[in-house]
Amino acid sequence: MSGRWEPVVNQIWETNVQPCECCGQIVAKQLWIAEVEGVERRFCGPACEELYRSYVVPKQQAAAS
Amino acid sequence: MSSTALDPVTLTIMNNAFVNICREMGITMMRTAFSPIFNEGLDFSCVLFDRHANLIGQAEFCPAQIAAAVYATRWTIEELGLEAFEPGDVVIHNDPYRGGTHMPEHLVLKPVFHEGHLVGFLANIGHLAEIGGKAVGSFASDATEIFQEGLRLPPVKIMKRGEHDMEIWRILMTNHRTPRNTWGDINAQIGSLRVSERSFLSLIDRYGRETVEQAATELLDYSERWMRNEISAIPDGTYAFSGQQEDDGVVDQPVNYHVEVTVKGDELIVDWTGTDPQTQGPINATYAVIAGAVYNAVFHLTNANIPKNHGAYRPIRIIAPPGSAVNVQYPRPCVAGNTESHAKLADMVIAALAPALPDRVAAGEGGTACNFLFGGVHPKTGDYYANYHLEGGGWGATSYQDGNDAIIVKNGNCRNTPVEIFETRYPLRTIKYELIPDSGGVGKQRGGLGTRRIMRVTEGAEITANALLDRTKPGFGAWGIEGGGIGGQAAIRVKRRGDTEFRTFSEVYGTRSPSKFTNVTLVEGDEVLIDSPGGGGYGDPGERDPAQVERDVFEGFVSPERARELYGWEGR
Repeated sequence: MSGRWEPVVNQIWETNVQPCECCGQIVAKQLWIAEVEGVERRFCGPACEELYRSYVVPKQQAAAS
Repeated sequence: MSSTALDPVTLTIMNNAFVNICREMGITMMRTAFSPIFNEGLDFSCVLFDRHANLIGQAEFCPAQIAAAVYATRWTIEELGLEAFEPGDVVIHNDPYRGGTHMPEHLVLKPVFHEGHLVGFLANIGHLAEIGGKAVGSFASDATEIFQEGLRLPPVKIMKRGEHDMEIWRILMTNHRTPRNTWGDINAQIGSLRVSERSFLSLIDRYGRETVEQAATELLDYSERWMRNEISAIPDGTYAFSGQQEDDGVVDQPVNYHVEVTVKGDELIVDWTGTDPQTQGPINATYAVIAGAVYNAVFHLTNANIPKNHGAYRPIRIIAPPGSAVNVQYPRPCVAGNTESHAKLADMVIAALAPALPDRVAAGEGGTACNFLFGGVHPKTGDYYANYHLEGGGWGATSYQDGNDAIIVKNGNCRNTPVEIFETRYPLRTIKYELIPDSGGVGKQRGGLGTRRIMRVTEGAEITANALLDRTKPGFGAWGIEGGGIGGQAAIRVKRRGDTEFRTFSEVYGTRSPSKFTNVTLVEGDEVLIDSPGGGGYGDPGERDPAQVERDVFEGFVSPERARELYGWEGR
């Protein structure tokens, strides 16, 4: 894993929340930022980065080919 | 924590204690709440967490909330921070974008301290029957944004160090149509937390904090191991299923869902990629709804004795694309995503795994709560009332038995409200309540039957009503499995006073949808008919035991004509 934690900082008027790009789960306090296939992605944690690499990316590649 | 594992007897005692603490919370809730949706319908859930927000115990109430409890609690703790919790605090929260299911369901969360140490959290999620918004009962079937669905609360303390925060209460009282019920019902929730807190602390006094915490940790691992063993027994592979909802209440076209369940060793990946984008109308599911549906399905397919704690969830990975109909994003509406989507989504996971687990799966169930909400000024008391009424439908058949009749959707696990209670509280008289013959899907095992209820508005009453039913169109019935037939359709119709027959609400009131409408006025003498759908059948109907067909005809569950046509019955 090559990612880093970044805090979620919202203004008081920002009431929407950010979802994990892999599982879709909402993230309250800190995002796990990692580069996958040259694109920076936001995850709820390292486990979702791993799932994204091992499941989502291969599935997308298979669908594209 | 001790490095020595606890003995099985102590672990069993602890597990039962954790569950019983939650059951006690539920019984308290049932006996003290004001509204029938709680004391008759049991539309609430009671859960216990360790101090790390791991769910360590839950009682057998409302499965729709088994994931919401986890996600809403985790969100609350992360947003507020552990350091924000003090003894006597109670946080309230109903934001569907922060781990909730839909806005009527309010989480109340209480930290538990033992001798100054935080030892866990107790939570109760309950569906308040009225929280404001554009429609009475806060169930606007034509809502297109969250603001029409009622008052949304981020996690805020409704009690601080044991004292009510009346500023929060005043906001609630001002925005809900039936504030007295809100006061009674939320206080019942809070009271149930106090009762269960007493029992949890008593357990810790008896066994010691270290032992209780160690038991919780070991039980989480035990559940995880058991769940992994269950998953390992399923052949590796990817299993897919697609399903539909007839429409979203706003746009008259089907909503398509797709799931792929990948079994890989001792883990499940449940991927909803391929599902339609989030809808304009309110049938969108939140992340907590889709997670709850997946957990619900997996619990239906695995050993019933696995302790239902967070450890059992660990081997299950869920992918719910944000902005899809299974993971709604702000500010799209979602009030019906819990009632109308959860059951179908859970059934889709079950159906996907049918090739791998043919003797454990069930056909599709009715899958609509037949939501009928109404309110007005009661002619006898002069008080404003509001009620959320659910109907039970038929459940799907399995390889070993017929589906159950007249059972509320599997996300609810709620009870049908007795007619006597209903008539005592509201100005509607039940004229008819019966099972619908032939509504169960045919099969070697027959789908469960739906029900027909007819209610008449009583003297002097004027009622504002809303409805949201699915499975009302041909082709959208509960699916069968292994050659079983689809279940019967749902319906809602009206007969105005003086009319001779029931017609759709679109025909009488001009509503855009005949089954999903908001703010229709009914007056004395008007009658409403609600048909709930039947469940799907399992297996070839030609293989049904002739004695069972004979009994079905005798009981009136299947008509003689259908018995001859579909089962080859030769009786008279």
